[in-house]
Amino acid sequence: MTVDRFERGSIGRLRLHVMPTKRFKTFAISLFAGVPLSESTVTATALTPFVLRRGTASTPETIAFRERLDDMYGAGFGFDVYKRGDSQIVQFRMDVINDQFVSSDRSLLEAAMRLLGEVLTEPALEGGVFRSKYVEAEKTTVRKRLEAIVNDKIRYAAERCIEVMCAEEPYRLHPLGQLDAIGAITPESLYASYRDWLERAAFDLYVVGDTSMEEVARLVTESFKLSAGQPASYERPDVTREAGEVKVVIERMDVSQGKLNMGLRTRIDYGDDRYPALLMYNGILGGYPHSKLFMNVRERASLAYYAASRLDGHKGLMTIQSGIEIGNYDKAVQIIKEQLDSMRSGKLSELEMSQTKAMLANHLRELQDSAYEQIAYDFNAVLSGKERSPDELLGRVQAVTEADIVKVAERVMLDTIYFLRDGKEE
Amino acid sequence: MERLVYSDVRETLYREVLPNGLEVIVLPKEGFRKTYATFSTRYGSIDNRFAVGDRPPIEVPDGIAHFLEHKMFEEPTGDIFATFASQGASANAFTSFDRTVYLFSATEQIEKNLVTLLDFVQHPYFTDENVEKEKGIIEQEINMYRDNADWRVYFGLIDAMYHNHPIHIDIAGTVESIRQIDKATLYRCYETFYHPGNMMLFVVGGVDAERIFGLVRDNQSRKSFPPQEEIRRFFDAEPESVKKPKTKAVLPVSLPKCMFGFKEKRTGFTGRELQRREAATKLMLESLIGPSSPLYQSLYDDNLISDSFGHEYNSAPDYAFSVIGGDTPDPDALLDRFRVAVDRALADGLQKTSFERAKRKKSAVICAC
Repeated sequence: MTVDRFERGSIGRLRLHVMPTKRFKTFAISLFAGVPLSESTVTATALTPFVLRRGTASTPETIAFRERLDDMYGAGFGFDVYKRGDSQIVQFRMDVINDQFVSSDRSLLEAAMRLLGEVLTEPALEGGVFRSKYVEAEKTTVRKRLEAIVNDKIRYAAERCIEVMCAEEPYRLHPLGQLDAIGAITPESLYASYRDWLERAAFDLYVVGDTSMEEVARLVTESFKLSAGQPASYERPDVTREAGEVKVVIERMDVSQGKLNMGLRTRIDYGDDRYPALLMYNGILGGYPHSKLFMNVRERASLAYYAASRLDGHKGLMTIQSGIEIGNYDKAVQIIKEQLDSMRSGKLSELEMSQTKAMLANHLRELQDSAYEQIAYDFNAVLSGKERSPDELLGRVQAVTEADIVKVAERVMLDTIYFLRDGKEE
Repeated sequence: MERLVYSDVRETLYREVLPNGLEVIVLPKEGFRKTYATFSTRYGSIDNRFAVGDRPPIEVPDGIAHFLEHKMFEEPTGDIFATFASQGASANAFTSFDRTVYLFSATEQIEKNLVTLLDFVQHPYFTDENVEKEKGIIEQEINMYRDNADWRVYFGLIDAMYHNHPIHIDIAGTVESIRQIDKATLYRCYETFYHPGNMMLFVVGGVDAERIFGLVRDNQSRKSFPPQEEIRRFFDAEPESVKKPKTKAVLPVSLPKCMFGFKEKRTGFTGRELQRREAATKLMLESLIGPSSPLYQSLYDDNLISDSFGHEYNSAPDYAFSVIGGDTPDPDALLDRFRVAVDRALADGLQKTSFERAKRKKSAVICAC
């Protein structure tokens, strides 16, 4: 089987990553724009893509903008704002069908790139700043999104745990910004911060589909009106911070089920040579239905429906989450701590090792079937400065020994326990 | 083995019904590493009253199809997730209104994983003890959904629409109903609905169709099943009206969540006609209230809806309904505006341009799969 690879290039401040392939019926396009997470800019940066998606200079009305997408055979357009490491990343995503599959009389890749270029660099303006109607409407949208975090109790508890754990780091910030900073934003201030963001951000454009670097480079030159300069790079966050005494926070709300979350510092990040062993550590502990957390909290003790661990490889943080009967808090915490202890004392069976390796290998192989997953995987290299193909990481995972995992376990420190339980306080 | 060519989307399917009744479909995808297989039974949360052959009908506790799905993963040798993990496969299952689906995806040991899938779903292992143990886990699953406002508003709507049809029953059942489930009833449901004649295997990925069919034929020929008898499902007659025009629940959320929908008065369609009606209704909803419609934009501009606003349509031979809605500060104002727009569309028809656009969009989505 031939392996498709990303070809690299750059046009001014935009890094280009193009994977020419005939495997997909669509073109997948992703544009990443990252800046350091910072209290002073996080809210305006989060609001920016919401306003940009309302219209462009040539298609200023939102309905016309959406019709333009529909007319491109229902091109998909979306965006997301999230954090990786200590960066706040805005990602625009477009997918459009390859013209060969429909009776289109124009290049849909060209139409998509033109639209994306306009969204980023030629927004709809009035009097030289963003349209106030759009800014006000999208302020409301972001406000509602932030207020809505509490609606999903599982997510809310996970975010509160991170907030408590990283209270002294930029990582405490929510990628959608701060509620109390929204009110003061004006079309003028947002436009100024957008211009500043365009100057500062690291830009990476990915295209996967039946195209070439030459074609993409030509389309970028035609469609993206960015200032001249060199591509910016990401700063690697400091992940060496140690956990102090374990912070325990219990909060109350009207919930039927208690949401137990734990935050741990692994002090190993994506670029670290110990990262493959960290993947194994997380996999054996709680990444899968065969893992220790699932087997012990759920299958043996019947305490929960879900009990799992998750890794943020760029920040070196691991979180554990489980939904439990409120009265079982002590029991669940004890069982989870026992699993962490058993990782440290090297109680790892041959079977756990081979199962976890097989699952990680499966994931690393199957992501190569999806254009967006390949883009997401490759972007890790941009973020961390560490190039490691899926096959290379797979080889390193296969070579991980029990001793390697115990060494990782010795670094992992429990930092925070957060529990969301029933009833109002008092 | 029958060959079915779909030239519009450039795909070829292979299909065969085995002597024991199992329907097998393979969709080879050249150049893909992953293989994805589903093994499904026509058995879901609505199948709560049934009879086999000429035996008398029985009624089973709510949530039993989902409970059965959980229990299938346990074998005398242990948890089947562990077997899949050893073979590098990611396995899962889900239960919906009218089906239960077991699945895996893997990039290696495809044939071994396929045999594991066939064998564990065709081998029930229930004991009094393992059935009791599962109740604690499912109770937590039910409690998790009780805290989930999106799920509550969605099921609240369906419950308000249907008087009798079991579609209004929560898929997982209730804490009370699952307590009534025992080993004997699980076996009874299993034997009724997991007969190969009520099931389908679908394999898609970088596979060779001939090899897959050879393997499945061989696996199935070595198992014996009693002759298949007709399954009869019983539903009380469902009135045309909705049970309750409006219902409310109080949960700690930042903004009210409002869903509304239309219960179809005419049901009983099957096959292509059912498919045609479903496609037409989805197109109608997209033209009327999709993100490119003037109605959507005006509701958004007036702060009555947010990006969470959407619509869907569910249809089966004996029920069909739409679900529309999302977060809104003022459910009544939203409903008033929607009613006015529907009246206008009924009087003037849909805009031709927005209909054509919706049609093109939907067909491209199907093509791109």
